[in-house]
Amino acid sequence: MRTILSCIALLALLAGCASESRLAEVRGFADEAPKLAGFADLSARFRDTYKREQPYLSAEADAREQAIDSKRHQAYPDFVALHEAVTAYLRGLGALAGKGRYDFSGEVRAMSAGIQAWPDTGLLDRHVDAYARLVRLMVRYGGLREQDKALQAMLRDGYRPLQDALDAMHTLLRYFNKNHDNEQRIVMGMLAVEIPYADTPQSRLLAALAKSHQQEKAGEYRLLGLRHTLAAKNVDALRARHAQLLRGLAPAPEDYGATPPIYAPAAQPPASPTAALQGARP
Amino acid sequence: MNQTAAVPRNHDLEALADSLSACADELHARLMRALRRQQPVEAGLSQGAAQALFEHEVALRQQANNLYVEAAAIALDGMGATQQELLELAAQARRTIRGIKRSKDLAGVAADLLGVAAAVAAMQPERLLTPLQNLKSRLASLHDENSA
Repeated sequence: MRTILSCIALLALLAGCASESRLAEVRGFADEAPKLAGFADLSARFRDTYKREQPYLSAEADAREQAIDSKRHQAYPDFVALHEAVTAYLRGLGALAGKGRYDFSGEVRAMSAGIQAWPDTGLLDRHVDAYARLVRLMVRYGGLREQDKALQAMLRDGYRPLQDALDAMHTLLRYFNKNHDNEQRIVMGMLAVEIPYADTPQSRLLAALAKSHQQEKAGEYRLLGLRHTLAAKNVDALRARHAQLLRGLAPAPEDYGATPPIYAPAAQPPASPTAALQGARP
Repeated sequence: MNQTAAVPRNHDLEALADSLSACADELHARLMRALRRQQPVEAGLSQGAAQALFEHEVALRQQANNLYVEAAAIALDGMGATQQELLELAAQARRTIRGIKRSKDLAGVAADLLGVAAAVAAMQPERLLTPLQNLKSRLASLHDENSA
């Protein structure tokens, strides 16, 4: 009985001590997910290009734009799905790295306290022993080490798909930005072409309103340009941080140290249990 | 295989769209120069001619934007499997967390049961009350969670 009790006390102690640093790092990484909201906003803006351009288009240009508009609307759900898959993964990672998620030390302490509060009450050794086995099991499968292992597996398995998804987001943001540039030049160009002809004594009011509108639009487009840049930067930062987390995994798998820089297009994923799955991917 | 073929294809479309945009920029610069040179504007380029030129510029930009959206669709072609993997990993994380929570619940039930057993073994019924109440409320909350 004594040995079992001291054994449980020791286990309770062990459950509490291990490094928290990687968990904190992963939590910090997962907390960055809201920064991808820029991608969601800008893909919605991309979808709505026609609505904003329409007042400035000629009848022929309007007809052409409608065909492009339907393509943008068709593609939009895929942008949303991409964003959702990435944020779901990051949320899962964050939840798995949650503080105390694998921490059974509270339970283990409560259980050992339960035993110690009732010494020599007639509980048989084998009762206590069965109980102690349960405690031991929890300590083995609980604790920071196990949490860290689960996280490492999720990071490794998620490496290639997350990098691919972030790459795709980055590429799409580039297209959104170029589309935005053309929209801006269509709208601003129309104003720039028409204003000189309205700048006559008879239509001073029209010219004044048009110039004021021009200034307003210029400001709006400048801000939107900055938002595209920022969104792309955020995606890049997330991709770099994810790669860095993976490089820091310990113990490093034998072939992981030789992995080329993550940013190189030909970067290989680290060995992972889903390698077969990835190989099967088209 | 699909993906490796798709990468150059959307890059090709993007490059073509970029050059169309650049042509439109060039046309725009010329148009603006022509408009600035003539003071008053009525003296030179007519409004109709300026509008016609601008219409060409708009058409070029629309063709470019049409290619950008097509390139975007192609860039997403290979993403289905990738997204599925990410969603599956997220689901796995949720399952793991549920499993851990169940173990913690089990540990709580075991601790309560031990308290009950000890009170019974010690033949001290007055000590039975607290562990029994604990057990009852824990089981009730577990039941609520399962039925929720």
